[in-house]
Amino acid sequence: MTTPPSVRRRRSTASRVTAALAALAALALVATGCESAVEAQSGGGGDDAAGGEPQSGGVLQVGTTSDLVPAGLFTNSSQTTDVLVGQVYDSLIDYPLDSLDPQPRLATAWETSEDGREVTVDLRDDVTFHDGSDFTSDDVRFSIETWADPTWTVQFQRTAAAVTGFDTSDPNKIVLSFDRPISNLLDLFDVMPIIDEESFDADATGQTYVGTGPFTFESWTPGSKIVLNRNDDYWDGAPYLDGVQINIVPDAQSVVSQLRSGQLDTILGMTNRDAESLGEAGGFTVHPFEGSERHTYVGTNVTNPALKDVRVRQAIALAVDKERIVEEVYRGVGRPISLPWPEYSPAYDAEKDATYSRDVARAKELVAEVGDIPTLPLEYSTALANHEAIAQIVQDNLAEIGIEVTLQPNEQPDHIEKLIGGTFPGLWILDHAYAQYTPSTLAVTAYPFNAEKNSSNFVDDTYKADAVAAWEQVDPSSPEAVEAYAKLSDDLLENLFLIELSTTTFQAVTSNDVHDFTWSKRSEPVLAKTWLSS
Amino acid sequence: MTVAEVEPAEGTTGRTWRRGVLLHGRGLLGLVLVTVVVAAGLLAPLIAPFGANEQIEGANLVGPGGAHLLGTDEVNRDIWSRVLFGIRVDLIVVFVAVPVGAVVGIAVGVATTMNGLADTLAQRLFDVVLAFPVLILGIGVTAVMGPGVVTVAVVIALAEVPVFGRLVRTSLLTIRALPYVESSRVMGAGTWWLMRRHMLPNSLEPLTVQLGVSMSVAVFIEGALSFLGLGVRPPDPSLGSLIRDGIRNVWQSPTFVVGPLVVVSMLVLGFLLISQALAAGRRA
Amino acid sequence: MARYLAGRLPSALFVLFAASVLVFAVLRLIPGDPAVTLAGPDASPEAVDAVRAELGLDQPILHQYVAWLGDLVRFDLGRSYVLGVDNASLVRDGLTNTIVLTLAALLVAVLMALALSIGGVLANRRWLEAVLSGFNTIAVALPTFVTGTLLIVLLAVVYRVLPAGGTPPEGFASRPDLAVQYLLMPALCLGLPAGAALTRFLTESLRTQLEAPYVTTAQALGISRRRIVLTQALPNALPSAVTVLGVQVGALLGGAVIVEAVFAWPGLGLLIESGISGRDYPLVQVLMMLSVLVFVVTQLLTDVANAWLDPRIRLGGAAA
Repeated sequence: MTTPPSVRRRRSTASRVTAALAALAALALVATGCESAVEAQSGGGGDDAAGGEPQSGGVLQVGTTSDLVPAGLFTNSSQTTDVLVGQVYDSLIDYPLDSLDPQPRLATAWETSEDGREVTVDLRDDVTFHDGSDFTSDDVRFSIETWADPTWTVQFQRTAAAVTGFDTSDPNKIVLSFDRPISNLLDLFDVMPIIDEESFDADATGQTYVGTGPFTFESWTPGSKIVLNRNDDYWDGAPYLDGVQINIVPDAQSVVSQLRSGQLDTILGMTNRDAESLGEAGGFTVHPFEGSERHTYVGTNVTNPALKDVRVRQAIALAVDKERIVEEVYRGVGRPISLPWPEYSPAYDAEKDATYSRDVARAKELVAEVGDIPTLPLEYSTALANHEAIAQIVQDNLAEIGIEVTLQPNEQPDHIEKLIGGTFPGLWILDHAYAQYTPSTLAVTAYPFNAEKNSSNFVDDTYKADAVAAWEQVDPSSPEAVEAYAKLSDDLLENLFLIELSTTTFQAVTSNDVHDFTWSKRSEPVLAKTWLSS
Repeated sequence: MTVAEVEPAEGTTGRTWRRGVLLHGRGLLGLVLVTVVVAAGLLAPLIAPFGANEQIEGANLVGPGGAHLLGTDEVNRDIWSRVLFGIRVDLIVVFVAVPVGAVVGIAVGVATTMNGLADTLAQRLFDVVLAFPVLILGIGVTAVMGPGVVTVAVVIALAEVPVFGRLVRTSLLTIRALPYVESSRVMGAGTWWLMRRHMLPNSLEPLTVQLGVSMSVAVFIEGALSFLGLGVRPPDPSLGSLIRDGIRNVWQSPTFVVGPLVVVSMLVLGFLLISQALAAGRRA
Repeated sequence: MARYLAGRLPSALFVLFAASVLVFAVLRLIPGDPAVTLAGPDASPEAVDAVRAELGLDQPILHQYVAWLGDLVRFDLGRSYVLGVDNASLVRDGLTNTIVLTLAALLVAVLMALALSIGGVLANRRWLEAVLSGFNTIAVALPTFVTGTLLIVLLAVVYRVLPAGGTPPEGFASRPDLAVQYLLMPALCLGLPAGAALTRFLTESLRTQLEAPYVTTAQALGISRRRIVLTQALPNALPSAVTVLGVQVGALLGGAVIVEAVFAWPGLGLLIESGISGRDYPLVQVLMMLSVLVFVVTQLLTDVANAWLDPRIRLGGAAA
């Protein structure tokens, strides 16, 4: 009497369990047999045909660790932005990586008038935007005006704002006029992407990006990926790649794993340690972005009573083991420095650059002269992969000479806010760029250096005067200019409100299926001539 | 009073402890694991060959063996010494933050359970805290307070308050309904007397079991927060931050992560086994 | 049932309201000014002020709260400061990915719990019990962020069997066979601890059931152990297992923060983490409220499921 229902129930439960086990088995089957997702995803493969004939086709899978921030499109704020801007837009000129000798791009020729207050630029006449409209002198005017708009908060905003008049009567020629000579106009021409007036409102919100570059913007999925397609009508010849996909992989370890697994072809944003071991693993090539230097420094708030005395700042500069930072953190990519100028810069002076080489005994003497120094905060940004290690090395070095610091990790936005406001209470660590351009640029625009108002709260009339004098040099390589830069260097070394530690560069690692991968002075990867072997 | 003889509440926990933890193989194993880790943490200054933050010249990411049992990290520190000192952070989290959270939770639970309105209010507030997954709560608290040991401790204590508050409420309500408590009440025993004499001692058992579980979870939370870069501040080590450093260097020094991982697993496992044994002893 | 549910609603609404106050207040305490962040490193004070006004951050705080709550109730989720995109579309994309991942993890957990607990109880061998319990405890004791990385190194790099991360390029629906392979590792990572907890619980309740008098009677009548477990013990043990499962959903959502970061899975966990570090208030507010909403709804569903499975709770629960 009780049997039938209970048998039925048993069957149903048992069959459910069986079904579950079958599902498990099916899962395992799918995972092992059938089509493999691993095979499906890897575009390239096979042996490297390095040095062979370029092949067309394939989508380059790029991995970066940060997402696109539309409002920061033109601020070089992330490597994701660098990849996007570098492929979708063109600039007027290009600096080669190892010099400041401008090369034509959208501009074919440029000429400065006798008095330096008028610049005539000839433009290419065979260029169209991705939406089909022609590239004209009016687009250059719009680009410069946008660049001068403070809402975009770009480098060289002051340079763009110095343009007082535009003559666009000839679509293939623009005449710019100024109230006074400007020394770093060509820097602006290298940095500024040419944008399209009609579509620009959409660029600002991340819906579309219309430029004249080798790739067209297809889509952005926030937190996931950006898809770019080949621009078949590119004026400099269509690229070999069918497209570029930027994959956002927030975990720095995972981005390395994805490259190693073959899921990605190129990655950016890993630590130098990871780049080094990928290079040693075989099958990968490490590309330090030489010619686009960045500089790691310890900033000091000179209004802090403990840091007011320049001897304390000198002691810090002498105590830090810069060689060790270069060797152990940057894995040899970079060199110890006392001044920001790269070797090819007209401001470079090897002797001055070695002013603060490590001298622990001298540092201890200086500390002894000053007396007791209270514990100071040393802040760094968690967004920069190498900086935690650098902060710990600096802390250890300073403890050795009797200066105690406590480490404080900041989220990037908080760190930048303090940089802008000059509100770091004590010491901080950060990178700066733009020393690879005309030397005067640094002292008139960069936040840590700006003579008018800087993050160190350092105010000095001589420095202000020297900064302006350097800015007004029209020819950066003239003897007068070199002399002005030397004065600037002396100001930096004597006052030492900012302690340079080391140069370094961004790096990319590519699989050996990727060929002819290059980059620009703006740290943007350049993929116009890149190809994939298969 | 006669009621007191109905059930001698005292000693139950002691018996459970002996029966469950010491005699039960599982409990004993758990106790040994936890004791070893705790002892290693307490004795760190004596047994660690190097200082926790001592940077040794030239020893960059050295593999295990020789002078460095577990090798060295990316800023030339001895990993074994850092593991020993790192245990101490977890000890603070486990033996300070969890008990503090538990005591606050129990106090709130006890104080409010007997009062209808206060009870409802407390329960709803517990709901609000529980509604945030612990890690999301942790990210929020860290965003306000900044990273550090104190922040981790606050997150863990905060997360434990509703857990214990809920638990003490349930067991108080259950015990109140038991026949002998019911009868003492009928015989005129006061609420506070009942609470002290019967209800609290009897709810100690589930609370002890939960304490073990919470302690193992706390080790995890410390690890997860440190993994997200929200844990202790460099240069001080914690087990979680050491695992993070190990994972970061998984290609340069694959053995790095093993040491801290083993210690974390020992702690988590130890506390779980003890609490399982306690629960089993209670049922036996 | 409807009355039972209606009894639960006020407290659920209270939790939502209190959480909204908390979320709003806490995010205002975070150091760092989103206007400055957005304006960028080289912005002038005027530019920062302009951004602040545009975001409504210059309004009194109470005004901001009321405006936000009003928008929320009308399902106007606002716009992300940092990404410049509608929060609604961000949440929609993230939610889909997180739901798929969480469901897959739940499936892993439930299958694992059913197989291991029923298998263990049926086999009734001491050594098997020890092995299963050992496996279980280790599954609980291994942190997700370690298992995730190690799984990737093993199954995606050393043996190239599964993708190292990301979501399937062609979506979940169009190529389910590929989608499963993308899901396998993250779901396993996320589901394993929950599965272990569930296994433990289910094994215990099955054992407790087997000690009940009705089982002794059934055994005396000569009914096989297997049949008793499957037809009697299991159905009786299920209601409380559902409660445990409900609690685990919350844990899964928390765990998703780490699993999504390790596997580059663009879900809500990743979104909330990047939102907080980018000081993206509107986005974080919406996401935190969403997680509270999920918790509240899960609780209600668990209660309902329990009441449905076990009338005693429904009657008793209404009184409490």
